[in-house]
Amino acid sequence: MNMRFTGTKCLIVGGTCDMALTLAPKMILSGLFPIMTFRSESGQKKLESRLGDFEGKYAAEYLDLDRVHSIGQSFETIENKLDYLVDFAQDDLEGLIAATDAQRVQSFFEASLNNRTIMIKTAARAMLTQKKGRMVYVSSTAAARQSPGQGFYAAAKNGAESLYNAVGIELASKGITTICVRPGYVDAGRAKSFIEKHEQRIMDQIPIKRMLSCEEIADVILFLLTDSASGINATSITMDGGMSAVK
Amino acid sequence: MDIFKEIRQILVELLDVDEKEITTDTYLVRDLCAESIDFLELAVSLNNRFAIEINDDDLFLRNLRLYIQNIPDSQDRLAGLTGRFPFLSTKRIAEILADLDQGPVLKVKDLIAYIEWQTKSKKAA
Repeated sequence: MNMRFTGTKCLIVGGTCDMALTLAPKMILSGLFPIMTFRSESGQKKLESRLGDFEGKYAAEYLDLDRVHSIGQSFETIENKLDYLVDFAQDDLEGLIAATDAQRVQSFFEASLNNRTIMIKTAARAMLTQKKGRMVYVSSTAAARQSPGQGFYAAAKNGAESLYNAVGIELASKGITTICVRPGYVDAGRAKSFIEKHEQRIMDQIPIKRMLSCEEIADVILFLLTDSASGINATSITMDGGMSAVK
Repeated sequence: MDIFKEIRQILVELLDVDEKEITTDTYLVRDLCAESIDFLELAVSLNNRFAIEINDDDLFLRNLRLYIQNIPDSQDRLAGLTGRFPFLSTKRIAEILADLDQGPVLKVKDLIAYIEWQTKSKKAA
């Protein structure tokens, strides 16, 4: 298959997570230029260590959705020019709706929705100047099916999906399209320890009887950035091995 | 730099209209049928062309009618709006107040006034 990309510059928000770090080398080998965001010194070091072989073929940029000013600063550094945005960023707030501290809820949604809206707006305006752009939001199957205690996380995912879908609806005529990916259980990240603890129960729920790998998710995201995939717009793709289809 | 010519060129490309249709007194919505998506692109283009901060709500006089509603005494409106839209002259605000019933009031000359004002503010800073 011919993987054709009309742009090169891709901002990867949440660039230090395992999925992003798996995606970056694939992008570089496909001729794209990923700009990986980090939000701490340890994140920056992680990028250097994992992508050290690709020096000069990627950039690292500080962007923290908890700090709204960092959004404008990042876009200034990349001169407000952007072809692609892949958004992995997600804080977690686990707790029962009726039992969670209001201040924590407020700051969680401030970053996840308010500040994300500012980031999407800034990216959309950067893409508008060149009349093309593609945004991929990495959501979760929790947007459709949540466990007790996942209410805030699911709300943030659903809210962010709605924002990305809106951009895909409003700006598609200007060459900007969006897509949300909903991975299920992936053998990486913050879910890893939970998965290890409940492996058998989880496997019973997944028809393909295995978790997805970061490689698989990264391959799909890379495809979704190609010109061929631009018709998949303002919608969500679930990648959970069939889990959410089972009664 | 002739700000009017620059804005006219942007509008010609954006709205696919003849440049002869555009004067400083042309209404963006009433005459050129600009829609919200056009205003978004216009703001982005002006931001790029003139390298100035654009506040879309101010530039396009978006909340004008709301501000007017919030000043119940019509005698106070001129002063109130002059404070709210410092890039517009008192004469222009008086014109706008007299023109409200006819539809959206934004004209090309309001864009020019905004660009000139923001450029001056930027230089002063």
